[in-house]
Amino acid sequence: MKRILAVLLVLAMVFSLAACSKDEDKKPDNNNTNTGNTTTDSGVLDKEITLTLWDIATEGDGNRPAYDKALADLKAKYPKVTITETVTENNAYKTKIKSAMGANELPDIFFTWAGAFLGDFVNAGKVHCLDAELQPWIDNGEMTAAQLGNSTYNGKHYGVPTTYNIVTLFANMDILAKVGYDHIPATMDELNDCCDKLLAQNIIPFGCAGKTDDTWCVTEYLEPIIEKTIGATALKDIMTFGKTWNNQGVASSVDLLQSMIKKGYFDPDGIALGNEEVKQNFMAGKYAFYQNGSWNCGDFSNAEKVKFTVKAGEFPVVDSANGKLGMLIGGPSDTIAVSEGANAAAAAAYAVEFGRLICHYGYLEGSGLPAWKVWGDTSSVKPLVQQVADICAKAVDYVLFGDNAMPADEAAIYLEYVSSVYGGAVSGADFIKGLTSEIR
Amino acid sequence: MEKNNQVNVEQSSLKLDTSKYHVRKTNKGLRVLVFVGLILWAFINLFPIYWMFTFSLKTNEEIFGENVAGLPNEWKWENYDTAFWGKGGRDKKAAGNIDGTEEGGFQLPKIIRQFINSVIITVSTILISIFAAMMATFAMSRIQWKLSKWAYAMFMLGLTIPIHASLLPVYKTISSLGLLNTYTSLILPYSAFSLAMSILICSGFMEDIPKELDEAAYIDGAGLWKTFIKVIVPLMKPALATIGIYTFLQCWNELMFANQFISSGDKMTLPVGVQQLSGQYLTEWGPIGAALVIATFPTLLVYIFFSKKIQDSFIAGAVKG
Amino acid sequence: MKQKQKYIAIFLFLLPALLLFVGLLIAPIIMSIYYSLFDWNGLRALDPSNDFVGLKNYATLFNQRIQFGSALKNAFILAGLSVFLQLPFSLALALALGKKIKGERAFLSIYFLPVLISTVVIGQLWLKIYNPEYGILNTFLRALGYDGENIRWLGDQSIALGSVFVPTLWQYVGYHMLLLYAGVKGVSPELREAAKLDGCTDWQVNWNVVIPTIKPIIKVSVIFAVTGSLKSFDLIYVLTNGGPMKATEVPSIIMINQLFKANQYGIGSAIAVLLIILCFFFAILIGFIFKERDIYGKK
Repeated sequence: MKRILAVLLVLAMVFSLAACSKDEDKKPDNNNTNTGNTTTDSGVLDKEITLTLWDIATEGDGNRPAYDKALADLKAKYPKVTITETVTENNAYKTKIKSAMGANELPDIFFTWAGAFLGDFVNAGKVHCLDAELQPWIDNGEMTAAQLGNSTYNGKHYGVPTTYNIVTLFANMDILAKVGYDHIPATMDELNDCCDKLLAQNIIPFGCAGKTDDTWCVTEYLEPIIEKTIGATALKDIMTFGKTWNNQGVASSVDLLQSMIKKGYFDPDGIALGNEEVKQNFMAGKYAFYQNGSWNCGDFSNAEKVKFTVKAGEFPVVDSANGKLGMLIGGPSDTIAVSEGANAAAAAAYAVEFGRLICHYGYLEGSGLPAWKVWGDTSSVKPLVQQVADICAKAVDYVLFGDNAMPADEAAIYLEYVSSVYGGAVSGADFIKGLTSEIR
Repeated sequence: MEKNNQVNVEQSSLKLDTSKYHVRKTNKGLRVLVFVGLILWAFINLFPIYWMFTFSLKTNEEIFGENVAGLPNEWKWENYDTAFWGKGGRDKKAAGNIDGTEEGGFQLPKIIRQFINSVIITVSTILISIFAAMMATFAMSRIQWKLSKWAYAMFMLGLTIPIHASLLPVYKTISSLGLLNTYTSLILPYSAFSLAMSILICSGFMEDIPKELDEAAYIDGAGLWKTFIKVIVPLMKPALATIGIYTFLQCWNELMFANQFISSGDKMTLPVGVQQLSGQYLTEWGPIGAALVIATFPTLLVYIFFSKKIQDSFIAGAVKG
Repeated sequence: MKQKQKYIAIFLFLLPALLLFVGLLIAPIIMSIYYSLFDWNGLRALDPSNDFVGLKNYATLFNQRIQFGSALKNAFILAGLSVFLQLPFSLALALALGKKIKGERAFLSIYFLPVLISTVVIGQLWLKIYNPEYGILNTFLRALGYDGENIRWLGDQSIALGSVFVPTLWQYVGYHMLLLYAGVKGVSPELREAAKLDGCTDWQVNWNVVIPTIKPIIKVSVIFAVTGSLKSFDLIYVLTNGGPMKATEVPSIIMINQLFKANQYGIGSAIAVLLIILCFFFAILIGFIFKERDIYGKK
């Protein structure tokens, strides 16, 4: 019996290695050296088991290659574990996972966003605590408590971070050169000067999508401005810890954004466009700047599609009394979680290694920064990703994306106000007044 | 309106009659104007097909700006390769398929699999819907009982229910029946939601079957069931196509339920597959266009070949309804 | 036939339809009514004693922020446009095609095409048409000599609603046209002939003979147009999802966003219940109006 089993095992190994060899031939040793040093008790994964996995890494998604490689690695390592993956488009996924939650049909392992999104699930008592599985990795320094912060509730860890992302100010250096800038403007004065010069040459400085589903794009501008005005701690207090929105700094940040819009710094068509279109415009060289998540690094590094030099930077400090460089928006948000249920133990063991591998490959592909300690050969990391990593190396503090940090009902209200700000219907004073009365 | 069931016959005679009068009465200038208007409107309605086809052969740059409505600068047939075989086209998939369970051997392109799934689900829905509707209509219109009008009104309530509103309750029902991830999980709700329309159409057709036929059958000693099968069902043939088309329109493109109830890749429907082609933050639109063409093409083909039949039954359904 | 036997037979014949209908339509409605009375996020287990809020969700709908009233108003505008613009246009097409015109069948087929094409395609197409910079519409206007700022069809609060309604109405012209065409073809030729002999013009024949005769079909069309408008969702969701700043919100959009974005399951269910009631009410009302006026009344 044992012999048959061993033969089967070897066969399965050979098959799966053969299956993934094509993707692996660039870095053949990663497989063995790096998944082999796990300290997790993996006994649960040596039994025949089928685990269900839901995620959003669709065919066209930047994370797909990372998922494929991570799945292949783990298939080689745990040949008896069968993963049934369901991939769903981002917006539809939110509906799907929430309904599944409501009907007690969660898959064993699922992709989620850290912060309040996962928090709602944890509060409903349907997410498996991963303390035991994560502890060895914390002990050996591969994972840090800071990276786990956004998926920690009441002192317990419920999620495995994969890559993390920050809001990044991408600049088209070829355009900036036309107005005499060889660096991304580092102060507000420089930024204003640069934008005015761009306008004088009929170049639109910023692009930002304003369609209803893409209101998060506006927050990618507003939140850094607020943070660079009132400071990271104050913003975190408001968005994550429930302090009042009644803050003059927030109001003046909103007014600042609106004054930039009024001066014509933003593409006036943006309000009617989706992020796809705005991003395409930036890649076609229409804007000087595009401020959005660092997950764009991969696409902006694609020389075939972007025929100019892109540099990554951060938004300048607005009010130096509280705001500082290195105060960033973002942090670990993409998370792998495990649901309570019969398969929880095996799923948890699997999820931790899975998350770590997605992180590794995602980092190499340019779809995000590593939440885990980096290992293996990183010489292929893209320069743009490296620039973002350098910004992060000097980070003072991170504040999670607002719509991830807030509970869903508050986030919906917040996004509605942000969209009104972009449309010019709500002033700074109205913004804080409205949010104070409707949220706190 | 009594002669509506003879639409076709009337059409031919109508043609003769009206032509006589057109010559005499209709203002020629006006007729030309109307004709030009009709042609213009035809172009407006053909444009989506043209646009979809050209956009399936373009790059993102063209789709999003350089060339929205024109012919592709460079015909990117590889978009179809991607739509069929996934990113990287056929070669990559053939060399090493890493998305899970199957190893080696020939694998149907996902989109074909999804197409077959959609066909299975749609056809089953149509069959169930027709069967249930005919039986119910028979009970309500051929058997005398007090509450039959009320029962009919209740079924008509189904016409007014927004399908989106019932997602979670239906999901809970399906999951408690243990049907998630099966074709049945979609067939049942789709049948339920198309039932009202099917009953509406059925009752129109059944009214035209003379009651004497039933009575003759009863006199011959046939029971209700036998009468239904032997007398009514054969005469309902014209209704089938009509119900089929209405039901098809309702479920072929349905996305929300399809997305929710089916999670395993081998049972996924076509609209879900098309939606999956779009990525989280950047989407290659060319392959999506190709998938849309692949998804729409069979419908169009069937429509072109059978348009007369389809129109006639649609028309018949309308008149009966 | 004995009474008891008869009722058993009726029951058996109704059974398949009843199972589907009660299990998958009526039960969800009842569940929605039930959920609409609770302050519940749809995720955790519902706690009937703590979460019960009575009719509060229905009141919340009409507050400053959700503005269900204005969404409802938009839906009514759409219904109005549908009945008074889309249907007459469809009727005109049906009448034009109804009297032997060259290529009648081809026109018929082409006009029905948009009904067959998935909303995803139609939505993407219109997004490209409306694109402020390179969209077909603005390009066309510029060719005609317009040289102002780019018109932001879907981004300007004052015109977005109209921009969203145009494709919504356009897509289903073919549907209504085919319905009405059926009626027009069904008008008995003797009637037409008689009218013509009385010296009626084409216009008068249509107005005095054809339209009154096809009233039952017009009724069906009107019911579909109104309930369809109240339920409209897909295309608006793709085009604007209610934006900019709620300008194009319709009830179904708010419903979906409350259910699955804001995690307000109670409020979302309340909207579902209201929509069902409204659709049912209008279906009956329209039926009643047509009955009152239907001099040729058959049904």
